[in-house]
Amino acid sequence: MISVKNLHKSFHTLKGRADILKGIDVDISDGEKVVIIGPSGSGKSTFLRCLNLLEKPTEGQIIFDGEDITSSNVNIDKVRSKMGMVFQHFNLFPNMTVRENITLAPVLLKLKSQDEANEEAMALLDRVGLKEKADAYPSSLSGGQAQRIAIVRSLAMHPSMMLFDEPTSALDPEMVGEVLSVMRELADEGMTMAVVTHEMRFARDVASRVLFLDQGRIVEENTPDELFDNPQNERTKLFLSKVL
Amino acid sequence: MSLSEHLFQDFIAEKRYMYLVDGLKNTVIITAGALILGIILGVIAAIIRVQHQNKKNSSEKTGPVLFILNVIVNFYLTVIRGTPTIVQLMILTFAIWKSGQPIQVAIVAFGINSGAYVAEIIRSGIQSVDIGQTEAGRSLGLSERMTLQKIVLPQAFKNVAPAIFNEFISLVKETSVAGYVGIQDLTKGGDIIRSQTYDAFPPLLAVALIYLVIVIGLTQVLNILERRMARSDIR
Ligand SMILES: Nc1ncnc2c1ncn2[C@@H]1O[C@H](COP(=O)(O)OP(=O)(O)OP(=O)(O)O)[C@@H](O)[C@H]1O
Ligand SMILES: [Mg+2]
Repeated sequence: MISVKNLHKSFHTLKGRADILKGIDVDISDGEKVVIIGPSGSGKSTFLRCLNLLEKPTEGQIIFDGEDITSSNVNIDKVRSKMGMVFQHFNLFPNMTVRENITLAPVLLKLKSQDEANEEAMALLDRVGLKEKADAYPSSLSGGQAQRIAIVRSLAMHPSMMLFDEPTSALDPEMVGEVLSVMRELADEGMTMAVVTHEMRFARDVASRVLFLDQGRIVEENTPDELFDNPQNERTKLFLSKVL
Repeated sequence: MSLSEHLFQDFIAEKRYMYLVDGLKNTVIITAGALILGIILGVIAAIIRVQHQNKKNSSEKTGPVLFILNVIVNFYLTVIRGTPTIVQLMILTFAIWKSGQPIQVAIVAFGINSGAYVAEIIRSGIQSVDIGQTEAGRSLGLSERMTLQKIVLPQAFKNVAPAIFNEFISLVKETSVAGYVGIQDLTKGGDIIRSQTYDAFPPLLAVALIYLVIVIGLTQVLNILERRMARSDIR
């Protein structure tokens, strides 16, 4: 369970201070799947990145599994190891094989021996149908394969929550499906998920709740069917009219 | 004297070729030692500079330790790159570390010198690694240090390996000033022969040839290295 209270984030730029998140309040309970939509530049990525502290919130609190992770004495690395993150551009480590990509963190953090980690990596790869790629290097993978492996890499840490920042936006259209189906399976298994995506079909099928973010605020939130079919806010309507 | 008599006098008589052999040995020792020290210093200096730069960009407060380290590094880079190598070598030998064993002093002097150049190479290497790599490492729960060590630095080294190798090649030639502080390196060896036989051309030509062979050899190795690396990228 993660609980975000009055989250603000500003960046200092050459043009002065830019307020990107202007007071976000949201609770995501265990097993929930929250999809975040909104126009480009509205702060979706910044919001996700604040959740695992890749960005340091300017103000507000984030309570994760009972602990305020914005307080200064929290062990950030430990928090992050429980929150998987999947990026638009995969960010696989190009100098390591697929197996090494997956086992690096669990072994370095002494959660597993190399043998145990290897074994689990194979099991995870099998689940996403990429067992034969264990010894391949990332540059030989298609985008869809790379993203499935990036998901597996996060799962190897046994996170209690997964963050996805536009996981299919960099993919050729024919590869979107294979990644979404892995995410669907994950959702079915009960994983808590926060997903930024433009895949409205996925949002409708999988999300328990959809947040519409605009100019740093949650303008509207509802179940996907309600939000998509019966949006209340003018800006939500405008946005949906463009993407649906 | 005929040419063969000249050559006999210069290289064979009194085993004068040993000046070149021993000199080459010293040149290799100094170069290798300085290279290792230079890489160590260069990596440390580069990490400090990059860390400081990152903290500044992320508008986080830089701690006092990092701030001071960065000042020291900048001073180091400015002074070393702004003064001639030979002057640095002489200052270290005659003013700072008078009791030092000459070869050791030379290794340290050339190492400190090389480190300043390696630092800039490594820094550009670290910055050439996509920020997404660091973010991926950190979001798996790896510490800043583990991420740097296991993810960023290996890729940075790979990106700048040719540049470091070039630094190595120029270092071989730069050590030829070691004779100024009384070290019998390859160049000095040739010069000693010249002073004994009053015959300048053959011994100095021999010295030049040896440097040339080393540099061409190392360049070949570099080419093979680059081809190998290019292949592992396509894999
Ligand atoms: N590190 C940063 N420094 C300065 N400004 C930033 C930084 N990161 C993001 N921003 C700004 O914050 C705003 C929101 O960015 P963010 O990436 O969160 O938007 P987004 O909703 O994810 O957009 P997109 O759909 O294009 O990914 C943008 O105007 C962006 O320029
Ligand atoms: Mg974004």
